[in-house]
Amino acid sequence: MNPAVHMDGITKRFPGVVANDDVDLAVERGSVHALLGENGAGKTTLMNVLYGLYEPTEGTVFLDGEPQSFDSPRDAIDAGVGMIHQHFMLVDPMTVWENVVLGNEPKTWGGLRVDEDAAREAVVDLSERYGFDVDPDARIEDVSVGVQQRVEILKALYRGADVLILDEPTAVLTPQEVEDLYDVFEELTDQGKTIIFISHKLGEALSAADDITVLRDGVNVGTVATDGVTREELAEMMVGREVLMDPATTPQEPGDRVLEATDVHAEDDRGVEAVSGISFEIRAGEVFGIAGVDGNGQSQLVEAITGMREPTDGSISYLGEPMAGESRREHIDRGMAFIPEDRQERGLVMSYDLTENGILGSQHDPPFASGGRLDWRASREHAESVIEQYDVRPPNADAEAESLSGGNQQKFIVGREFERDPDLVVAMHPTRGVDIGSTEFLHDRLLELRAEGKAVLLVSSKLDEVQGLSDRLAVIHEGEFTGVVDPGTVTEEEIGLLMAGEALDDDSVEGAAVHDAATDPADDGGDGGVDA
Amino acid sequence: MSRSDAGAEGGGDADQVPSIARRVVSPFVDRSVAERLLISVAAILLSIVVGFVIVLVSGRIAQCSTAAWTMPLTGIGFCYDPVEVYLVLFNGALGYPFAVGEPGLFNPNWTPFNLSLGLTLSETTLLIFTGLSVAVAFRAGLFNIGTQGQLVVGALATALTVLAAAPFLPEGPVAGVVLIVVGTLAGAAGGGFWGAIPGALKAYADANEVITTIMLNFIAANIAYVLVLEVFRAEGSSVVATQYVPEHAQYLPWVFPESSDFALLALLVGLGFIVGLYYLVEHTSFGYDLRTSGVQAAAAEYGGVNAKATTVRAMTLSGAIGGVGGSVWVLMSEGRWMASVPALGFDGITVSILAGNNPLGVLPAAFLFGLLKGGALEIGFRTDVPTQLVGVLRGLIILFVAMPEFFRMAGRYVGVGSTGPGGPGGSASTSEGTDDEATAVGGGEADA
Repeated sequence: MNPAVHMDGITKRFPGVVANDDVDLAVERGSVHALLGENGAGKTTLMNVLYGLYEPTEGTVFLDGEPQSFDSPRDAIDAGVGMIHQHFMLVDPMTVWENVVLGNEPKTWGGLRVDEDAAREAVVDLSERYGFDVDPDARIEDVSVGVQQRVEILKALYRGADVLILDEPTAVLTPQEVEDLYDVFEELTDQGKTIIFISHKLGEALSAADDITVLRDGVNVGTVATDGVTREELAEMMVGREVLMDPATTPQEPGDRVLEATDVHAEDDRGVEAVSGISFEIRAGEVFGIAGVDGNGQSQLVEAITGMREPTDGSISYLGEPMAGESRREHIDRGMAFIPEDRQERGLVMSYDLTENGILGSQHDPPFASGGRLDWRASREHAESVIEQYDVRPPNADAEAESLSGGNQQKFIVGREFERDPDLVVAMHPTRGVDIGSTEFLHDRLLELRAEGKAVLLVSSKLDEVQGLSDRLAVIHEGEFTGVVDPGTVTEEEIGLLMAGEALDDDSVEGAAVHDAATDPADDGGDGGVDA
Repeated sequence: MSRSDAGAEGGGDADQVPSIARRVVSPFVDRSVAERLLISVAAILLSIVVGFVIVLVSGRIAQCSTAAWTMPLTGIGFCYDPVEVYLVLFNGALGYPFAVGEPGLFNPNWTPFNLSLGLTLSETTLLIFTGLSVAVAFRAGLFNIGTQGQLVVGALATALTVLAAAPFLPEGPVAGVVLIVVGTLAGAAGGGFWGAIPGALKAYADANEVITTIMLNFIAANIAYVLVLEVFRAEGSSVVATQYVPEHAQYLPWVFPESSDFALLALLVGLGFIVGLYYLVEHTSFGYDLRTSGVQAAAAEYGGVNAKATTVRAMTLSGAIGGVGGSVWVLMSEGRWMASVPALGFDGITVSILAGNNPLGVLPAAFLFGLLKGGALEIGFRTDVPTQLVGVLRGLIILFVAMPEFFRMAGRYVGVGSTGPGGPGGSASTSEGTDDEATAVGGGEADA
């Protein structure tokens, strides 16, 4: 039998770059296939070829053994290929069923009127057939991200997709929602659908896929069955060398209190309260992690701590000094480093070269400025030193920030912030969109800072990251900490429950609370054994 | 803008290839500056071509006894000869350095210190100040449409200050220098004050500076008019104007004819402002704050830039430069404040856009508009072509320059435009995961 999808010798060249180099890919009908690789490995490009967004420079796409030639996604959809993008394309104020049929509505009155009953009926049928728990009349803006994703899948199915491509489907989901998604995969493949999903996370490829194809630098490194491969082997295939999977944290006695937040409240840009009374402290030589699904107040909390946003209530003290309401400048001057979540909005000025970006935040301080004048020579030397120490590529201080890949942009920001010699590092999603090799490097640097006795506030939606690096781990939900736990003993399921806003049973919460209040929180923290 | 040292070594991995071309060029010219230069030159050439056609067509419509130019082969006559119009325009604006109707390329009787060139340079000088005023605000991401009003206020402040101070000083060169300095400072203070108002409204009341500066133009013009009409009007004057400031308090014309209203010293002051502002923007911490606020406000805030203070400072600086332009208009051109203030502030917007908002670019841009001003007078003297046609040419240049640059800027201003590195479909997506990949792989190709 012919495979459902067979991509034969696909080469895709962009001016000056080979994104895919003679890639073969075969996906059996009714299987889940993971396309694994680091950022820039060419995964998305390959799938865009399959979805008709790009025409391959060389090679042919076969569906069920038939050669295909797609000029646009329209052709691909007609041939039964559907793609669910990372960023959903849904109309928020419209209902689920309206979104599903949008653009392909059943018509009556000779095509003049949408047959709403038939449309709704079709969506309900589809949803029932695949066991989707979706209310067809709910508005998109009222349903969770996990449900929105299912609506996207329904859209593809409604258009007759037999092959579903999902781009980084788990990036925005809670652990529970991820489990639900895997169930959906199972239901779909049971009914003969074929699933290809893009990922750079080893764990999810191993738990969700039947087969895994690893891409590196645009080349197919190999296709393996999930049963016969280990995490370490996969990581080595992705990176091309051996990778230490778990950052090695060593127990360490925390020092003086560096940051203390008491009952902090903050609003988002719309004036809605996003942080509702959060208290914690971080000591020197300690990594305090905050886990949670994006959009639960992490951004506003971090902004309040780093001086980007004035808290509406509560107090924040840094090195014993009250900081709430002080300017951003004051926060920088007092030695607080901040790796922001949106590196292309805040962390870097995209049209500036690295020399100019290297002094962002220090543009008034020696050695880069004296008497209001900038010393570009010193700035250039600084940028070159960051580039060298943090392995930023291309190693060119004249390169504009926008010409760098995401991982290299991040390395430059991290380097710039760490080189401030800060007392506190606030790192928000420091490795989001960063490949494994760079992630490992950034984690090592964070732990080095910890060893040097710096305090670190680490906010991440990657569970294994916050769990593996933190000495203490808080979980945030709707602007409040649902628990502060010991990352060494807590299970992923427990964190998942906390992320969903559910309290743990009394024992563990109690334990965590006591632990939080204890003056010496590092008794048992930080051996960091994580089996994510 | 590029401070690149000579050697830009590039290590070449495959994922860096898209930027290699840029890195090769970047040590020599900043890409965006080169691009803007290209836009400006192309716009000027295009407007000359279109203007050529317009002159021909209007020459066909006009009535005349003898054709100025007859189309070969067809024998169709035209009243205006476009080539002659352009020759008179540009040659005349310089005082005919090139020979007309005589053998030889150069005009042997030409001296640089002629009336036409003086008029051209007078306009150039004034436009340097208003162009710089607009450019500084633009660099901070602010649309200062109010340079006109700032110039009006600055000019009035200069005239009144000099008139008030002059009686206390004995006539002479020393008094002249003192009065010019004091008058210039008064102009800067007046214009700066008038610029600070929309700056503060923007920073602290979230009032759009485009609206407020336009409104403040009307307020400035009318308040100044009433003040002069009711209080400061020169006795016996038929127009609404102040007294003339004393002769010794005006910029001396030196080598140029007095009727050209041009003083070399004022131009030198303008050149000083160009260099000074360039240094301020590119080589000071304040300039860094200002530029960063202009290109990426969120990053500026992250970098500790006080957005409100920077807005007020940038608008105050912009207004002060416009005010100095007003003082030059009083102390060089008119010798007094009068109600019919030319639209120098509005032309400054065009100059700034043509200059790509770069202080160094203001000089050639201002000179071009100075040429058109001087040339327009010559067209009126020497040809039958209505001088309005020169206005059309002026408008065409503005139109073509403004089209790409103005739309791009307006797009950025309202936040819909692409700031991507160009290329087909270079999307301004802010997404992280796949975007990184698409950028690294496709070099700015649209991601899925």
